[in-house]
Amino acid sequence: MMRALAIGGFLSALALFAAVEWLARREGSRIPTLGEVCAYVMRYEVGSVPVGRIGLFGFWWWLGWHFLAR
Amino acid sequence: MEQPHDLTVEAPRAWDRPAVSVPVLICLSLVGGRFASFSTEANLYTLGTGGVLIWLGLSNRVPRRPAPARLGAGAAWWALPVVVFGVFEGATFVLSVGDEFPTFSRLADPLLEDQLVRSAAWFAWLSAFWGLVRR
Repeated sequence: MMRALAIGGFLSALALFAAVEWLARREGSRIPTLGEVCAYVMRYEVGSVPVGRIGLFGFWWWLGWHFLAR
Repeated sequence: MEQPHDLTVEAPRAWDRPAVSVPVLICLSLVGGRFASFSTEANLYTLGTGGVLIWLGLSNRVPRRPAPARLGAGAAWWALPVVVFGVFEGATFVLSVGDEFPTFSRLADPLLEDQLVRSAAWFAWLSAFWGLVRR
């Protein structure tokens, strides 16, 4: 029962990611795509250090290592 | 006559075209899919591919798409899937009762044992990484 709840919850989250991305790609949508959100986050800098870029690259690298290597 | 800089468009480099980058990503993914979890090869391969992409992303060697100057209120919709995922991941992680109420990683591990699924996951990871590098 609890296992089905977890699977259902994660599938719902993934479906929501897909749904919001689909809504964002419609003509004239006011929702930015996930790529645009990431690009905006990556603009963040402290002085000349691209903190947003480093943070997002680091997170994505860790995610790949976590699922594909560990 | 020299063109004003704003009017000139840099021609895409050969390796920056999908006809080149997609087959390269597929080849890298097929190789990555051959390495089992917890193996030295998998760790080194993840470090190597990720390291090269981070280096490309932090240097100015790859042309980037222009980023939006600001996000509208519509960006708040992205909080919905993030919160739903975060609630379930947090609950399963904190309770840590194993397969009874598994985390996302625990659910994904058996699927990733299949070489084809693992290669597909590698392709998704590398493609998204390449997309980030070009942003």
